[in-house]
Amino acid sequence: MQNPLIKQLQSAVESVIRGKSDAIAMAIVTLLGRGNLLIEDVPGVGKTTLAYALAKATDCAFQRIQFTSDMMPSDIIGVSIYNPESREFEFKAGPLFANIVLADEINRTSPRTQSALLEAMNERKITVDRQTLMLPDPFMVIATQNPVEYYGTFPLPESQLDRFMMQIRLGYPELEHEKRAVTDQSGFALIERLRPVVTKADILKMQEAVDAVMVEEAVMDYLMQIITGTRNDDRIRLGCSTRGAQFLLKAAKAHAYYAGRDFIVPDDVKRLAPCVIGHRLILKSRKGISDAEDVVRDMVERIAVPV
Amino acid sequence: MPILYKSITAVLALTGCVSLLITGEMNLPVCVGGLTLFVGYYRFFRDRAQASKRVAAILAQAALFVFLADALIITGDVFLAVAHMTITFQGIKSFDLKEPWDHLQVYFMSLLQLIIASELTRALTFGVIFVVFMVLLVTAMVLSHFLKEGTLGRVRIRRPVSVIVMLTMICTTIFFMVIPRAPQRFIGKSHAHGIKTVGFSDKVDFGAFGDFKLDQTVVMRIEMDREVRPPYYFRGIAMDTFDGTSWRNTTKQISRILKTDNEFIIAPYDRARVVEQRIYLEPIDSDVIFGLARVTAVTADTFSLLVDDAQGITIPGKLSRRIKYAVRSDMAAVSQGRREERYLQMPRRMEKIISLARSISGAGSSDAEKASALETYLKRNYLYSLSTTLPPAGMSVLEDFLFNSKKGFCEHYASSMVVMLRGLGIPSRIVNGFYGGERNEYGNYLIVRQSDAHAWVEALIDGQWRRFDPTPAVAQQKPPALSHVLDSLRLQWTRYVVGFSSDDQKEIVRTLASSFTLKGLPRLRFSMIKTVILWAFALTLVSLLLYAVSRILRFKRYGFVTRTYLEFRELLRRKGMRVTDAMTAGDLLKLSRNNGLGDEAEEFLMLYESHRFGSCEMSDAVRLRYRDLLKKLRSGKFTCY
Repeated sequence: MQNPLIKQLQSAVESVIRGKSDAIAMAIVTLLGRGNLLIEDVPGVGKTTLAYALAKATDCAFQRIQFTSDMMPSDIIGVSIYNPESREFEFKAGPLFANIVLADEINRTSPRTQSALLEAMNERKITVDRQTLMLPDPFMVIATQNPVEYYGTFPLPESQLDRFMMQIRLGYPELEHEKRAVTDQSGFALIERLRPVVTKADILKMQEAVDAVMVEEAVMDYLMQIITGTRNDDRIRLGCSTRGAQFLLKAAKAHAYYAGRDFIVPDDVKRLAPCVIGHRLILKSRKGISDAEDVVRDMVERIAVPV
Repeated sequence: MPILYKSITAVLALTGCVSLLITGEMNLPVCVGGLTLFVGYYRFFRDRAQASKRVAAILAQAALFVFLADALIITGDVFLAVAHMTITFQGIKSFDLKEPWDHLQVYFMSLLQLIIASELTRALTFGVIFVVFMVLLVTAMVLSHFLKEGTLGRVRIRRPVSVIVMLTMICTTIFFMVIPRAPQRFIGKSHAHGIKTVGFSDKVDFGAFGDFKLDQTVVMRIEMDREVRPPYYFRGIAMDTFDGTSWRNTTKQISRILKTDNEFIIAPYDRARVVEQRIYLEPIDSDVIFGLARVTAVTADTFSLLVDDAQGITIPGKLSRRIKYAVRSDMAAVSQGRREERYLQMPRRMEKIISLARSISGAGSSDAEKASALETYLKRNYLYSLSTTLPPAGMSVLEDFLFNSKKGFCEHYASSMVVMLRGLGIPSRIVNGFYGGERNEYGNYLIVRQSDAHAWVEALIDGQWRRFDPTPAVAQQKPPALSHVLDSLRLQWTRYVVGFSSDDQKEIVRTLASSFTLKGLPRLRFSMIKTVILWAFALTLVSLLLYAVSRILRFKRYGFVTRTYLEFRELLRRKGMRVTDAMTAGDLLKLSRNNGLGDEAEEFLMLYESHRFGSCEMSDAVRLRYRDLLKKLRSGKFTCY
């Protein structure tokens, strides 16, 4: 039985950004699996709206960082400022200190800033002036990048990409939905009116429940078959890492929970494999990430599912 | 677990053990140990707690040790030790019946017991037990199948069982007829000890016949090809040396005879004069060939025969396997002999007996008259009795018989006569065999029992061995006719089932072939048919073996859930959908939705996923639900969108 909270969350976000239920589902799955999401798409299809709506619906603090090439790590983490009254340095927290952070155009900034963000993402804490500060919980980064404009960008290296749980594309909405989106009031006005349906505490509880999802041996074997398959495929130069495998299992668990099960089935693994593994692979022919997804999709169609 | 299923398991275990018990080869402690079976099954029926797996395992290991000791020391025969062990295991298993798998083990064990028993016994009872067993086994298998599928509550058991039993019977019969039998027994050793007989070995202790004269066990059944008037002396072996307490055969002249055209010719004979006896022997612990004197030819399944110079014929190796042979005897033939030292050998201190012999025979008459006189004297003046006492100290057995107790049985008479003849200088020997037998009018054959074992005398008179029987005739009581009917059934069993030979197959093929022969076609020759059958059989066997091996190699033990899921997949395939192995349950759901299958498919797949990958418990109700859904999907009676 699907958790009613998840149902409400889904419909709340869908009321703002229509016709994108798959992408919304993946965003929720990433949130449940304590992962981070990378959205690769052209501007203006609702990346920001999706992130913002998700934050609003979950009663989470939301911050948006627009990355530019002259950004410094301190711009996102925060700085220590000397307070003459207390004669102490005080830490002014940067925009990273929120529950859901939208890192827009992450590939526009220098690798230095990129790695600062990704480090924080991974560690869930930052160190400034010899003091360690925990990031809030739940914490999720939704990063976007524009695949079309490569001029003046710093594409994320594979090691950085590996840190995202999954990568999705929104794509243009279907004609029906787009028509409505164009004629109706803009998304942000809708978001402003959005009432939170899930509390932060609920999110944390659900994240714990995801950890407890059962994994049957045969499904685990199937998952590993897919992982090793990426390493033996002759279209792929670099296969999936062990971290990728961990993420795939985690995502499958989250998806199982999302679907209202307390155990994962091969279907979870199969459905999530393309968007969890795709962006981690390097193909032999230099093509985009979406091609890598197709390779994975093609590959899982050849692997026998445990019965 | 239904009571029917329980009781069938119990009866199967019992049947297996009983089949071994009727062979009479099991030793007593094992049989007593097997009684625990009743306790075990009583507890099982009362639903008492079953032994834990650990205890069962420990017991089974202990049984293995006992088996080793049994095979190496106690019986010294691995085969019998296995039989003993199966009984023990059945006893152990009766306390450990938790899962269907345990029941299967019981079935398998019973089957093994039946197979072992078939090696050990030739009794008709076994045939009956075998049929009962087969029906039960099939029923049990069908039941356990339904039990596994969880549809036991709604099956009609009678029809499938009877159909399968019929088919099994037919197949068994066909196999029985068709499987070529080796004309020779390559594995000659039997593990059955056979009926203990006496008097047919190289050394016979005096008085041994006494115990057996009361035993009514049938030893052989004899069909003769023509009417022969009694008396029937079925000659076994002759003994020459007597030391006062035992008879011995000291001849060194034993010749080996090889087969010529299907039989062993011992002496040239004229077919018109000989009488043929087909002898169906119960398994006995002796290797002697019996037949009316004088045996001229033998037909038997063996490579060679041994014949000694006193016409004792033996088969090398034990007889308890061989169950029939044919003997051709020329009853009018005389057997020549020579005076030999060993036929005049005497035990010490026999002067008193020799003087008695002299006084009986009188001087001056011929050897033949002397012998007849002795024979008559012994017949008239002594009492036939099986209850003999030990002789007083210092007196030999014969002396006691002749002068003191004057009571004895065939051995006393015959031994006395041999000693007397030898005292008179007439070479003589004692012959052990069977005498008489009773005619069974249902089937027209002779029944020879243990109690017909007999010893008589042969004396060399004028260069010819002549038979004398000094034992007085004893009235036989006639058994009731019913036992004769039963016995004739046993003979049929021995003749057509146990002793079904390649000759019988030939006969069947001949009758079949003759009815199929068309004009213009070459006549079917048996050898040709046999070659074809043999090859066909060999090919079938090899392909079956290969198939079995490949199955075993590819075998995956699917549980109920996976099996039904695979059936569901097959169902979709049959409905013309493209189903691949890389499809998950979710994919199948989409597929079946697109093809207009209803909620049943969804429910089925949900059930499958939760039982296969989740931790949901199976129950009989759920099994039934699975089956129901599949049935609905199959028949097309489902909710359409």
